[in-house]
Amino acid sequence: MRHKGQGRLGWLFASPYLLYAVIFFAIPLVWSIFLSFTNWNLIAPTFNFEGFSNYIKALKSAGVHAAFFVTFKFLIVFVPMVVVSSMIVAFVVHALPKFKGLFLVGFFLPYLASGVVSSLIVKGILSYNSPVNIFLRHRFGLDIDWLGTPFSALVVVSVMIAWKFTGYYALILTSGLESINQDVYEAAKIDGANAWQRFWKITLPLLYPALYTVLILSVGVTFGIFTEVYQLTGGGPSNATNTWQMEIFKQAFTNLQAGYASAIAIIASVVTFISIYIIRRLMEWWGKRNGWD
Amino acid sequence: MKKFLSLIVALVLVSAALAGCSTGNGGSGKEASKKGVTTITFWAAPNPTQQAYWKEMADQFTKEHPNIKIKVSPMKESPTSEASIQAAIAGHNAPTMSENINRSFAAELAQSKAIVPLDQLSGWDDVVKARKMDNTIKGWTFSDGHQYVAPLYSNAMLFAWRIDILKKLGYNEPPKTYSEMLDVAKKLKAKYPEKYIWAKADLVDPTAWKRWFDFFMLYHAASNGNNFISGNKWVADDQAGVKVLKLMADLQKQHALLTKKAKDPFETGVGIFTDLGPWTFTMWKDKYPEMQLNKTFVLSTPPVPDDLKSDHAYTFADTKGLVIYAQATKAQQKAALQFMKWVFSHPENDLKLMEKTSLLPARDDLSTNEQFTSYFDKHPELKPYAAEIPYAIPAIDNPKYNDIQTQIGQQAFNPVVQGKIDPKKGWEAMKKAIEGELK
Repeated sequence: MRHKGQGRLGWLFASPYLLYAVIFFAIPLVWSIFLSFTNWNLIAPTFNFEGFSNYIKALKSAGVHAAFFVTFKFLIVFVPMVVVSSMIVAFVVHALPKFKGLFLVGFFLPYLASGVVSSLIVKGILSYNSPVNIFLRHRFGLDIDWLGTPFSALVVVSVMIAWKFTGYYALILTSGLESINQDVYEAAKIDGANAWQRFWKITLPLLYPALYTVLILSVGVTFGIFTEVYQLTGGGPSNATNTWQMEIFKQAFTNLQAGYASAIAIIASVVTFISIYIIRRLMEWWGKRNGWD
Repeated sequence: MKKFLSLIVALVLVSAALAGCSTGNGGSGKEASKKGVTTITFWAAPNPTQQAYWKEMADQFTKEHPNIKIKVSPMKESPTSEASIQAAIAGHNAPTMSENINRSFAAELAQSKAIVPLDQLSGWDDVVKARKMDNTIKGWTFSDGHQYVAPLYSNAMLFAWRIDILKKLGYNEPPKTYSEMLDVAKKLKAKYPEKYIWAKADLVDPTAWKRWFDFFMLYHAASNGNNFISGNKWVADDQAGVKVLKLMADLQKQHALLTKKAKDPFETGVGIFTDLGPWTFTMWKDKYPEMQLNKTFVLSTPPVPDDLKSDHAYTFADTKGLVIYAQATKAQQKAALQFMKWVFSHPENDLKLMEKTSLLPARDDLSTNEQFTSYFDKHPELKPYAAEIPYAIPAIDNPKYNDIQTQIGQQAFNPVVQGKIDPKKGWEAMKKAIEGELK
């Protein structure tokens, strides 16, 4: 009896989250799957079941193709960028003798900044007639179309998001660095290991749990990029920054094609799930090689 | 178990109570007629000036008609005003009526039977007559012959030229034809290599609505007001369309188009030509007081091909209006039309609309009615817009307008501006793609 009562208590404590999950995850998911098989625009009184036609249309669409490849391009550019920058910040803060917390809070602030506001600032800085560009044109003859060429637009958006997340990830990595026992470094020094060897053979493997978290989080961010792209490039030029979220937004809220947008959302979820699963397995394989089971 | 069930019941009750606390600004069908009073809900455009205007109108109307109560609330802007209307209809929470509806979106709502044909409501003809919009309304008739939108305002889009810079180039007035425009481009680049005729990043952006403010302005002028799509048929003037694209290609060849993002390029003189709506002047008053009509800028109708024989150039009308939703009860629909008739029957209400919002009422007599003379004397920059209203063509009335206008950008206008495709080939590719969409 006592055991049964404890079970109920467990359900009771879990019920707020369960309720939240049912309302905000399960019901919308089922609803999206339902919509994805219809041609409903949510306005018309009637609709037809279209089978897989929305999925077929999505798989043939240039916008969806772009979203698929652009996400992986962001993955290649953004993830190494944010991991390296957050590691640098973490190492610098870790090495500070005092005020570590203060510096970490400082680096964390961009994470709290509104994506819309920071995008507008960047837009102003990179505009054709901004002081930066006028200086580059007149001093060096450089006339750069920052947001109008595919590669630079991708890099600008990546840098913006990396700037936003660096402080947050640095916080995680700093706590990882703090947890490494200094005796290990002392022993390695006695054995003659130089700084480079200590980094590769001690720091990086022992930082694995924090690094694992940062990598999975940053990969997740890549699949959810929206605000910066929406504000800065609108997915252009020529779909070069068209992410999954951007494509879903366009189809759902501009073209008002709820069924089609739902199909794209389901495809995006599957791609995201598979990608994160593969990256997780790769990270776990690397962890096992370094003694993390 | 009993305790557990009690807890679940309590949770449900709390949720229901919280739901009851919702402000619920919509829900026309749910508003019942109580004690002879009909309550209607009105969604105003998501900007403070238009909300203030409609609140004032509703208050005045209710004083004269105590049997009709009007609840005015702003239309949600996030993620888009169209999507918020879509969500409201889907949730059976649509208002009785709303403003801010363009002809293209109305076509989608009409096809889905979400709005009522106004011409089938008793008293619609009186509304048209009372507001003197017999001519204006013709352009708003949908391909099924019905009238779904009561046009509120019509901003006949004009182009502005930096006359101060044109004068430095030796011109005292803006160019009217394509060859005159190309001549200006040549002289501009020779004297000011860092300036452009048209500096606008949107020229290479395929977003559907952006074509209203470049392609359609030029196309309506070049085609002498010829339609582009009628119902589900391609009726565009191919020759005129190719000429528009060729103008853009020629300007691109002369390096006279800037498609990089620039901050206020016209105001800062980076570009000397731009599409300009009357709403801009309020912003200029605060931010760019140096922008003065006939001193720094002049307004003109769109440039036309050299061989076009016409007294007056047509243009695109950025125009929006009022609709009545099908979810409303018959009594609410009747009350909504009564409110619409009251607003439109008094020219002083249109005067207030201009004073509060700088939007130009969609009426035939705007530039001739003496009641508006003093307003235009105070705002001479708006006079050319009022005069252009009879020559301004609203957006296409096809539910697939988003796809159609995206194709105009992707297949033709954007690549031509970038110098990636020949104008004729671009036009043909666009035509083929749009005909595919229309099937």
